[in-house]
Amino acid sequence: MALVELTDIRKIYRIGDQEIAALDGVTLSVESGEFLAIIGPSGSGKSTLMHLLGCLDTPTSGRLVIDSVDVSRASNDELARMRNAKIGFVFQSFNLLPKFDVFRNVELPMVYAGVSAKVRRERAMEAIERVGLLNRIHNTPLQLSGGQCQRVAIARAIVNDPKIVFADEPTGNLDSHTGEAILTLFRELAQSGRTIIIVTHDNNIAARLPRRIEMRDGRIRIGVEAEVSNTAPLIAGIPEDRAI
Amino acid sequence: MNFWFGLMIGFKEISAHKFRSFLTMLGIILGVASLLSMFALTEGIARGMRERLAATGGVERVEINPKDPSEALQDLAFLSPGRTMEDVDALFKGAPLIDLISPELSLGNTAVSRSNLTLRLNASGVYPDFFEMNKLEIEHGRTIALADNDSVSRVAVIGPGVVEELWPENPNFIPLGETIRINGKPYQVVGVTAFCESESAKRKRVAGNGAAEDERRVRRGGHGKPQQKKWDTYWQKNHVVAIPLSTMFYDFRTATNADGSANRRLDRFSIRVVDTSLFEEALNQVRAVLDRTHRGIDDFAFDTREEWSDSIESGVRATRTSGSIIAGISLLVGGIGITNIMLASITERIREIGVRRAIGARQRDIFIQIIVESGVIGFIGGILGLIAAFGVMRLLVLLSPTENAPVATISAVLISFSFALAIGVISGIYPAWKASRLDPIEALRYG
Repeated sequence: MALVELTDIRKIYRIGDQEIAALDGVTLSVESGEFLAIIGPSGSGKSTLMHLLGCLDTPTSGRLVIDSVDVSRASNDELARMRNAKIGFVFQSFNLLPKFDVFRNVELPMVYAGVSAKVRRERAMEAIERVGLLNRIHNTPLQLSGGQCQRVAIARAIVNDPKIVFADEPTGNLDSHTGEAILTLFRELAQSGRTIIIVTHDNNIAARLPRRIEMRDGRIRIGVEAEVSNTAPLIAGIPEDRAI
Repeated sequence: MNFWFGLMIGFKEISAHKFRSFLTMLGIILGVASLLSMFALTEGIARGMRERLAATGGVERVEINPKDPSEALQDLAFLSPGRTMEDVDALFKGAPLIDLISPELSLGNTAVSRSNLTLRLNASGVYPDFFEMNKLEIEHGRTIALADNDSVSRVAVIGPGVVEELWPENPNFIPLGETIRINGKPYQVVGVTAFCESESAKRKRVAGNGAAEDERRVRRGGHGKPQQKKWDTYWQKNHVVAIPLSTMFYDFRTATNADGSANRRLDRFSIRVVDTSLFEEALNQVRAVLDRTHRGIDDFAFDTREEWSDSIESGVRATRTSGSIIAGISLLVGGIGITNIMLASITERIREIGVRRAIGARQRDIFIQIIVESGVIGFIGGILGLIAAFGVMRLLVLLSPTENAPVATISAVLISFSFALAIGVISGIYPAWKASRLDPIEALRYG
């Protein structure tokens, strides 16, 4: 069974008496260890899709199974537990807690998981070492560069050893050189067996990932099972004939 | 979420905005300070009054006072001899539920003198029970005995205040065997009573604060000694002049009635009940005996201290209640301030709350975090309030009379502090509820 399984997912928002289908029948499965991009213009439903996959929300209808847990009708607390244990988030604007130092930021998910202080310390150090920031452990986010902040965010995302890491425009606030390094870090994480899902509108990045899902008008428009290509051809738009 | 982690976050939030947090706490600080000082002040007054009550004989003491007989008996009032020694003898025999009977004659504005020094004091003609009734202890010598009354001796027991003023050159003089004159008649001093003072005055004297206060008083142009207050219970006890009742009667009272006959009436008449649980029974017994000696004329009334004691307690309760309400309003205002700031603080941190929710915080984790934060504000505010209260009390000690000095009891401290803590937690409930209900997606998108 696949790690993530979506069957005919719909998400409908009601604004006044108008119904807007942000997702209109999405069926998708993601295997364990996949490195995947979700792309699409704004309003295409990619954010909504990420929120559902990230257990921040539940679908209006359809079936959503993550790691053999059906979360389509999960309660608030169950969703929180899923996010805590199985999902890691990396945001465009890092979203670190500005008053906490690197260590405290990375430690935070384990606090909500109820991990003991000693184990928290060990695992936080491990994660910080993994992103190469051991020397900045007592700095606060304000004292770090953007790239370093994003590394801290990645350490925080992987510290509870989640099955899936979501990254929402992870390089959007970084210069191309730093963004490259962050992407490399993701690639390494993917190679070590974690599922990485990057949401982006940057085709340049998406084109280099093994699998792309393009969203348009609440539906999946195209799935490209491409080979990893480090030469990164610039794709301005995907031709119609490649649609499924 | 770990409680200690929550506490740490709370303290961090507060130390990150020190001045704002202090302003927020100010309401709590003032509320706690006024609550505790109010408790301490009323407690001090209550203690002073209770002490005074005990010093004058306690609740067991009953005064038998004259009153106008009821209307039906008014025409027969002349039949009653009033309060006389016959009452005393009859009570000795007929009222076993009372253990002390103290009849008194008094002589106001009496000249008490030694060589060229004269004091104007009240002298009392007494029976032996007088001393125990009035909680007067004999420091030197002996009391006025029944034998002194039988033999009509000219002996006197005087208070230490009298000694001090009659022998000013020698403050530690023990004047046993010395002769003093009372309205010109010579009396031999056979006893001196012990010095009486209130607990707080004693504590102050032992602590040595008195000297400094005297000094201040001198600097202000007053006397080195505390102002002598003749109405003060303790002053009166220290200036007692007691002689046998019979001697008083023969020396000073033999012919004071208008018709030239001897006025045999007593000026004061007190009894003490053995057991306060049998208070009513004892009074009924006394009433039965006195009805006989007064020939059925109800020209006497009981003045019990229970009413005094009750009025102390109800007065203290009333003061405490009104004070608590005022201090409570101040605490309430403080609480509203906390709610306000917490609401502002969560609005400022919507994104942070979103992040916490995204990485796995449940609604209740957020709720607890906010509650703990406002609880910490209440906690720190409470502690600062207690400190402020002790400062205020030091000031009040200087201002209030010694025997009414404010007393902070442990329970008052605990009550004031728990109020602060409770207000802190309660004020956090609404902001915490609001924060926990934030939608994580919208919170993440905020700002």
